[in-house]
Amino acid sequence: MPVSALQVARTGLEAQDARMRVVANNLANVGTTGFKRDRANFATLAYQDARIAGQRSSGETAYATGLNLGTGVAIQSTSQIVTQGALNTTGNALDLALDGEGYFQVQLPGGQLGYTRAGNFTRSAEGQVVTQQGYILQPAITVPEGATAIAVSQDGIVSAQLPGQTEATELGQLQIASFANPAGLRAIGDNFLVETGASGAAQLAPGGENGRGSIRQGMLEASNVNIVEELVDMIETQRAYEINSKMVSAVDEMLRNANQTL
Amino acid sequence: MDRLIYTALSGMQSSMAQQRVIASNMANAQTLGFKAELLDQRPVTIKGDSLEVRAMQHAEVRGARMDTGEVVETGQPLDVSIKGDALMAVQAEDGTEAYTRRGDLAIAPTGLLTTGDGHPVIGDGGPITIPLGGKPAIAPDGTVTVTDPTQPDAPAQEVGRIKLAGWQGSPVLKGLDGLFRVEDGGVLPRDEEATLQTGSLEQSNVKPTEVLVEMIDAQRLFAMRTKMISTAREVDESGASLMRMT
Repeated sequence: MPVSALQVARTGLEAQDARMRVVANNLANVGTTGFKRDRANFATLAYQDARIAGQRSSGETAYATGLNLGTGVAIQSTSQIVTQGALNTTGNALDLALDGEGYFQVQLPGGQLGYTRAGNFTRSAEGQVVTQQGYILQPAITVPEGATAIAVSQDGIVSAQLPGQTEATELGQLQIASFANPAGLRAIGDNFLVETGASGAAQLAPGGENGRGSIRQGMLEASNVNIVEELVDMIETQRAYEINSKMVSAVDEMLRNANQTL
Repeated sequence: MDRLIYTALSGMQSSMAQQRVIASNMANAQTLGFKAELLDQRPVTIKGDSLEVRAMQHAEVRGARMDTGEVVETGQPLDVSIKGDALMAVQAEDGTEAYTRRGDLAIAPTGLLTTGDGHPVIGDGGPITIPLGGKPAIAPDGTVTVTDPTQPDAPAQEVGRIKLAGWQGSPVLKGLDGLFRVEDGGVLPRDEEATLQTGSLEQSNVKPTEVLVEMIDAQRLFAMRTKMISTAREVDESGASLMRMT
């Protein structure tokens, strides 16, 4: 019995510690393009029943209620809060922002598809539109040598003025991915998300259609982390951690007392 | 040899159980929709011909404090908090209907509408399912409608109505899974008056200041009961020394 009160307080400390990590990560990414803040979710741990309701308390009577003792708390998951970040104008032709829902789809090394809201694309040596890491945007779009006045429409049609042509040439169309449960996507770092069983499969559509956001050329989406909110969360977490650690010392004190007095 | 020592020991055990309940409440001060548990301590005496002089201390968790926790705005369309004191019906692991105040809803890959800890939310006809790719919206009366993003002009389809149950008058207990159930089985009726507020979440109703006070209280009580045992020892020793003939 005495140990368990200590263990219960320990679960509280661990959960607060994990929450602090989430807050720290959000704050660290306040300047990351297209970053979405995470929220830590807690869940109560299992209950132990020392006695089940209906057990016999004597020959004629039964206990009306069970004796349930909670075993503490655990951090259960983090969920991405997918609110829109502010759009900042940069003026670069291949800086694209999504105004609304959806993700850009890129080819990760190893063949897996990654999804991102960070639309700061560039042109590779081969002329393909790639992310900062050199991952190719899917469906692939190639911008030929010497192309000028690259334009991306709101529904993702990429066109450019090619040397020796009088008319703009259409180079391809971007597709925007969306998911049944975007909160279920798994972050793998570098601003990329990959699909999981919880997110469902990606469904592609042009920008601005079927609930997808429209594409804004020459803009980037800022991080949706709100510093004030995170600081409040940080203080809250810190205080909760403190109280849980007081609990540990209180139980310790009780045990010391029993040791010394008896 | 007096039996006082056993009475004091039962008190010490109760104090430890109390401290454990307080620790569990404290650990859950950030758990959404958590209701603080109450420990009930009572003296237990043996009825009979003998004099009732020994009251053993007995403690157990009898219920939870049902007052509403603080409601915080989140702005998320699937976060709901229940106004008033109704409970939201969910399906427990064993398939039975249980109740919770936790309102951070999400859509599982199967399309089921679940709470943040994975329990499917129950409507009039069982668990509520959101069609794949649909955009859900929750009305204040619990009605869940879905719009198809591929047909922006089509009217929203109703897929179910979250059951909000009134529990006033029927005692509810917290089970081992942390969900509430009616004391002797059965389901609660829908409360037609109960409403939801979307875009906000109800926090835990554990108040850290109260917990700190309770904690110190339990700690000191434990010390007093320990003292009782050492006093009993002194009494026994003096009794024994009186009995010595030399």
